[in-house]
Amino acid sequence: MAISLEYVVKETSGNLWRNRLMSLAAILTISVSLALAGASLLLKQGVSTATSQWKGGVQLLIFMHPSATSAQTSTVEHQLKSLPEIKSYYYMDQAKSYQEFKQLMANSPDLLQSVTESQIPPSFRVVLKNPSAAPSVGSLFQQQAGVKDVNYNRGAINTMLHVTSIAQFVIVGLAAILLISASVLILNVIRVAIFSRRREVAVMKLVGATNWFIRIPFMLEGMVQGLIGAIVAAGAVVGIQALFQYVIQHFHVTILSNFLVSSHDVLMTELFVVAMGIIVGTAGSAFAVRRYLEV
Amino acid sequence: MIKVDGVYKRYKENQYALADCSLEIDRGEFVFVVGASGSGKSTLLRLLLREERPDSGEVWVAGKELSAMPGWKVPFFRRNIGSIFQDFRLLPNKTVFDNVGFALEVIGKSKRHITTQVPQMLELVGLHDKQERFPDELSGGEQQRVAIARAFINKPLILLADEPTGNLDPENSWSVMGLLERINRTGTTVLMATHDVGIVDSMRRRVIELENGQIKRDQTRGVYGLGQSST
Repeated sequence: MAISLEYVVKETSGNLWRNRLMSLAAILTISVSLALAGASLLLKQGVSTATSQWKGGVQLLIFMHPSATSAQTSTVEHQLKSLPEIKSYYYMDQAKSYQEFKQLMANSPDLLQSVTESQIPPSFRVVLKNPSAAPSVGSLFQQQAGVKDVNYNRGAINTMLHVTSIAQFVIVGLAAILLISASVLILNVIRVAIFSRRREVAVMKLVGATNWFIRIPFMLEGMVQGLIGAIVAAGAVVGIQALFQYVIQHFHVTILSNFLVSSHDVLMTELFVVAMGIIVGTAGSAFAVRRYLEV
Repeated sequence: MIKVDGVYKRYKENQYALADCSLEIDRGEFVFVVGASGSGKSTLLRLLLREERPDSGEVWVAGKELSAMPGWKVPFFRRNIGSIFQDFRLLPNKTVFDNVGFALEVIGKSKRHITTQVPQMLELVGLHDKQERFPDELSGGEQQRVAIARAFINKPLILLADEPTGNLDPENSWSVMGLLERINRTGTTVLMATHDVGIVDSMRRRVIELENGQIKRDQTRGVYGLGQSST
């Protein structure tokens, strides 16, 4: 049977306005719940950015012999370029390495004086795509001509991987719990709203309205509420993110700067929040009206 | 038009709302269903509207067997049945016009059809000057007439009335009965559950009396009370 668009629009807008207090309650519930869920998702992104930056520290050091020929050095460099496990690398020549050595050993002038620039080994500082590949990549270069030593800190890498996976797990769990409780809360508000209109549904059934005829305006109503709530929540998430950024920039909280999220992450989170709002609002209304249709 | 055959219906264990109830009503009849509260009148009407299903037995309405009817067919079945109630059951947020028009809107009638049909129907029930009022601005009698207009606008085969005069004073009750008679004269079968002794006694129509879920009496030109008359 045909359901006229005019009927649906008129019915939906009329119901939203007539039950505006209930609509407002539903919208606020959706905004608060989704803002919390969205913020925690963003935090998860922040943690993963931060860990990838920590991971971005050098994980593998390839020390060349100070006397290594430039041919040997370029062979190693060539090999580094071709390995898929390697994210990036840079070469520290003797001059730069000596500068670094001087800085590190500034407190031990005796040691400084005993070492000259020509004794310092130049090195490749390597960043891996996955830090856990350090031992296998390292062993490739161990026997290479001109290579003095390969160095990586196995224990530190493992600890870092362990800690970040736990942090991610906890935050994803938190976001999931928030999303589930948000859905339950939203559903309940919609149910209360529809309960107060069960007589209306009964009259519709009495005059021979099909279930879809009754359901569609309710679903559309839930969708509008979900959409408005989600937009408010998305605004709140952007606000929280902007505040965070402001705090970092103006108070120079360097430890937090690692948590910065990209605008891509923010956009994806916002899209997720809006999609959740629409889905929960629409499906929730359909679910809530269901029991009053069974007459 | 209506045939109830050996119907049992219970809501609680060992407490039957209807027990072995059988009756037959022909096209165009006007039938009163009387009996004390809890005698099964409302259950009978709910079965005929397919708001309930019998535990056993068959319910035939307008050529359809209701206990086996799948749920999705029920709305289409109900479009052949008009129903009015003691509590009117109007939509409080819709005007008189929209309440009556709603029955047409639901079955997908065009706006033009609605704007011509509804005023005619309201004219018939004497409320054409109150089209834009809301139900709570009307008297009980007027609200029931709106409900009758809504029930009859689809020209149903059957009109079910569950104590339609229960909340009305005698004058309004009689105007409602006048409308039901007019509807009956168009060939619509009317089945009315009532407690109103005066109306039943003076109209002298077929009376079915229920007691403890069973048919106690079925008279073609009956009265409300017991054993006074039979034809």
